[in-house]
Amino acid sequence: MTPPRSAAADGLASCHLCGKVSPVTLGHCPRCHSTLHLRKPHSLARTWAFLVAALAFYLPANLLPMMTIGGFGGDSSDTIMSGVINFWHKGDTLVAAIIFTASILIPILKMLALVWLCLAASGVTAASPKALSRLYHLTELVGRWSMVDVFVVAILVCLVQIGAISTVTPGPAIVSFAAVVVLTMFAAMSFDPRLLWDRQHGIVVDEPADLAATHE
Amino acid sequence: MKRDLPGLSWPRLNDSSNQVACHFCDALQQAPRLPEGDAAHCCRCGELIYQNRPRSLARATGFSSAALVFMLIAHLFPCITLQAGGTRTALTIVEAAMTFYHDGSPLIAIAAIVFTVVAPLTLVGGLLYVAAPLRFGIALPGAVTVTRIFQLSEPWSMVEVFLVGILVALLKLGSVGHIHLGTGLWALAGLVLCTACAMAGIDRLELWDRLEIALARSK
Repeated sequence: MTPPRSAAADGLASCHLCGKVSPVTLGHCPRCHSTLHLRKPHSLARTWAFLVAALAFYLPANLLPMMTIGGFGGDSSDTIMSGVINFWHKGDTLVAAIIFTASILIPILKMLALVWLCLAASGVTAASPKALSRLYHLTELVGRWSMVDVFVVAILVCLVQIGAISTVTPGPAIVSFAAVVVLTMFAAMSFDPRLLWDRQHGIVVDEPADLAATHE
Repeated sequence: MKRDLPGLSWPRLNDSSNQVACHFCDALQQAPRLPEGDAAHCCRCGELIYQNRPRSLARATGFSSAALVFMLIAHLFPCITLQAGGTRTALTIVEAAMTFYHDGSPLIAIAAIVFTVVAPLTLVGGLLYVAAPLRFGIALPGAVTVTRIFQLSEPWSMVEVFLVGILVALLKLGSVGHIHLGTGLWALAGLVLCTACAMAGIDRLELWDRLEIALARSK
């Protein structure tokens, strides 16, 4: 069996939406009318941009309070980390582990994974594309789960709205935190795992966006 | 070896190319028709390329209509009722977002509504709109656009994350008051389950192949 060729080497693009393989010179997919690209346009530049933006929001998301609980004993603010520590001290090890994983571990690991993927795709570090593809798959899968803390605050604010016992007000960190999750999701979506293999197979696709644009 | 098993695979247009390119490594390869239950993996990187799911259209239709029913119930009945010190608060998704819109940050409230109401509805409703008529080989007007939109909304549908959020919030409330788990919570769990089954019910390539045939027939 001959080793498989990359579709891009034959000028064929697989539609990112419906998967149909057609010549990239058509400009648009004959089946679903999406714009055809050999690779996601400006993949690395977009991923880097989203990553830098996510990183900028990461610090306020972790340092500012997520919510303020007001009660008889005065107000107390919780950042993500102090929330985890509170759960741990109360003995809810499982919840502490869930929040720690979803809100602290996943965002930072996801950003590190994407940085590594970008570096590998631009040839700075060498690693097996197969292992890196798996890493990319994982980053796409777990990203949404970081949203859990935002939902928790929304639910608590709704449930404890009537100030009989205590009040819960959302903190300034929540917008930053949601921004981190959404921006890293966009970063993962704009990364093209096929770039990892192109390097190994000596395929250079220069700006497929321009190629497609000339046919519009 | 060449085998012809027309009854065991979804139909394709005769003039359509039999090639498929892996979405992960771009390896161009032949796309054989598969017996039910079989999956095709990329010969270079091993990622799943497509799969012939048994009774795919029936499953997609059934599970997505069930998901729509669960969605309606989840919005009509409260998920949790909290009774503390003579006051009683009930939580539904929309109410939580409304409270958040007024007392918290409107931006987050809108995002929450998009992630837990709009995206799941687009996903399940879109799938039903496309898959149900396809069982009879019909493509309703706008089916291509609808398929596009519901596929794009898939990563943004986060009902399961919201469900875990409810559980964490319950544990956080702990001893504040008496907590009653409502019908809405179970409906949400059903919605998550049915959405997952509906999306896993039909392969993306199969849906597009069938759609292509239905469109060609109606021309």
